[in-house]
Amino acid sequence: MRGEALRGALSNVAAVAWKEAAIMRHDRAFLAMVLAQPVMMLLLFGFAIRMQPANVPWAVFDRDGTALSRRFVEDVTATGYFLAPEVVRSYAEGRARLARGQAVAFVVIPAEFRREFELGQPRVQVLLDGTDPISAARVGAFIAGVGARFDGEATPRRGAGAALELRQSFRFNPTLSDRRFYLAVLAGMLLTNFCLSVTAGGLVADREAGTWEQMLSTPTSPLELVLGKLVPYAAMSYVVLAIATLGAGIFFGVWPAGGAASWLALAVVTLPFVLVSLAVGVFVSTLARTSAQAVFLTVFFILPSMVLSGVMLPYQLMPDGVRQVGALLPLRWYQISLRRITLRGAGLDDVAIPVLALSLGFLVVLLAIRRRLKPRLD
Amino acid sequence: MNLRRLRTLLVREARATWRDAFTMTILVSVPLAALLVFSSILSTEVKDLALGVHDACGTASSRRLVAELSARGTFSARPFATRDALDRALVDGSLSVALVIPPDFDRHLRAWRTREAAAQVEVIYDGAEAVLAANAEGFLRGLVTAAVADLAGGADARDGERAGGPRGVAVVTRALYNPELDGTRYMVAGVFGFVLSFLTTLITAVSIVNERITGTFEQLQVTPATSLEILLGKILPLGAVFAADVVLMMVAAGLLLGVWPEGNPLFFVGVSAFYVLTSLALGLIISATSATTAEAVQKTVLFSIPLVQLSGFAFPTRNMPTVVRWLAEVFPATHYIRVSRGIYLRGEGPLSLAPELCLLVAFAGVLIALALRTIGART
Repeated sequence: MRGEALRGALSNVAAVAWKEAAIMRHDRAFLAMVLAQPVMMLLLFGFAIRMQPANVPWAVFDRDGTALSRRFVEDVTATGYFLAPEVVRSYAEGRARLARGQAVAFVVIPAEFRREFELGQPRVQVLLDGTDPISAARVGAFIAGVGARFDGEATPRRGAGAALELRQSFRFNPTLSDRRFYLAVLAGMLLTNFCLSVTAGGLVADREAGTWEQMLSTPTSPLELVLGKLVPYAAMSYVVLAIATLGAGIFFGVWPAGGAASWLALAVVTLPFVLVSLAVGVFVSTLARTSAQAVFLTVFFILPSMVLSGVMLPYQLMPDGVRQVGALLPLRWYQISLRRITLRGAGLDDVAIPVLALSLGFLVVLLAIRRRLKPRLD
Repeated sequence: MNLRRLRTLLVREARATWRDAFTMTILVSVPLAALLVFSSILSTEVKDLALGVHDACGTASSRRLVAELSARGTFSARPFATRDALDRALVDGSLSVALVIPPDFDRHLRAWRTREAAAQVEVIYDGAEAVLAANAEGFLRGLVTAAVADLAGGADARDGERAGGPRGVAVVTRALYNPELDGTRYMVAGVFGFVLSFLTTLITAVSIVNERITGTFEQLQVTPATSLEILLGKILPLGAVFAADVVLMMVAAGLLLGVWPEGNPLFFVGVSAFYVLTSLALGLIISATSATTAEAVQKTVLFSIPLVQLSGFAFPTRNMPTVVRWLAEVFPATHYIRVSRGIYLRGEGPLSLAPELCLLVAFAGVLIALALRTIGART
């Protein structure tokens, strides 16, 4: 009896899934959107977006004017992050450049730089435009790094005389490339967009068109209807995942690092994430009365997902409270898994906790949908 | 154009918007939520970050180094008995920074005086968290260098000798306009650009498409009102709401986050209200080319992704490759965000911002002309 009920439910789900897939296949504009977004995001995150400072405009006020002070300026330029320095003749002129945003850093080399260097106490002042704190902090660190290595010689000797030899390495991403950082979570951004937009409009559209009532009059239960709607989209999600992963791999060389184990982990962790995202979309659509409202609600779920999940900026540095709110978002757990898998070569056991968290999320949202969808004809 | 008819339409639209609880909620809550969320996320300050420590030396000096590093509240040290356990924690992501002190650290530290060897310390960052690693790097390098120099100095003092001190140039850094390098002010100034570009365009596009779908647009068209009047009647109240949003956000940022504009607030509101026209025109163009709400939204979102990413709202445009930087210059939002940061953070006035302001006027002109043409083509 129980087995029969389950089989009945499965066949109902399959029938709804078949119908939804047929609709999806005929929606050209929708398919175009599914294909256009990955391409645009690949280009954006592959080529355009960098946190690493580049082309930094800066000004120098060299009051010493010796070969040694010029060597310091050359060393800063040689780091490759800076444009050619703007040489200013006065302190006020440099300050004015900062005030107009024409320089991020203003380096002041004191008049006795060379003499102080020989005495062993050389100092250089750096004024930074703090309005963009990330750039300011990094530019400051670059110049401080040049200062720490500076020994006045054309080719710096390694560790000469220094008390400490600090060996630094960046594991999993030796050049600290932002491209790898962002491309690793490309699939997460695309799938959040995709899953939420496809399901959110669906239910409301059915209601507006009156097909929802028609389907309710069949022996299919509301929950079966919902699950049936999810199946073709879940399948489509794997197409999006494949496009994102292969695109990042083929064009930018960012492949999952751990071989077969990583591919398996990727496939497994994606399922609960896709399901919970699709379910959130359905839930949003049960809250909305018109498709315009559904659309707004979705967009306003997608935006905080992108911001608070840590795909763009490290969630570890966000303040308490904000960080915990972010942990309620499916994308937080998925992006953690993606970076583990793609960059650190993690396998299935390393993503067990995210998989559990996402599955739990799916169940909770499903229960919430069930409560909202008690059959009622109003 | 008939001003009396336009006024009737304006009153009608204002009333309709006012009664639509859902839209009103969005118009008030989304700007405020965006303000609060975005202002909190950009942080360069590393606080209580877990620092995995594998101390293979295990002497008084190595323990003092670890204690120094965790004393400032920047890092909290977590000991690891073996190098393997440390590597494992880096893979599963529970650690982002690790410090390895080799067995001969203490011996080399003592030998430093004779310049025979330098004490070695290895620091490993999780490059997978590229942004975090880059932020932590500067902090940790500074802390380790200072702490070891202290220890070395101590070792010398005990031996009763004076050392010349490590070479290198002391770089004294000071950040103007934002001494604590706090991300709040930077993001607050940018959020105006985000809300006025994204939300304005989205709501304009959707509400006009909606009007057309429900048929009220046709009903209005059979009245003596012209299409232009109907559309103006539709979008001018929206524009007024967004101008009010600017003031609301400014006050909220001031009262809740303590961020007031450095420059003239009236100048800022004026520039922002003018910029709203650009977004309204863009919303009109999108709505005129979309058949359904979903299509209008997809177009807005598709257009807004590069807008948010390339306009410098979250990522500085200067870091991008040359071609992309040119592309970013074509977005009105890029220039508006530059202007709003200039006024908000550096207290710039109309004179130093003149080139950007001219560009904004030019963009508004082009987009409004385009919008008028699209409307003309459709009616």
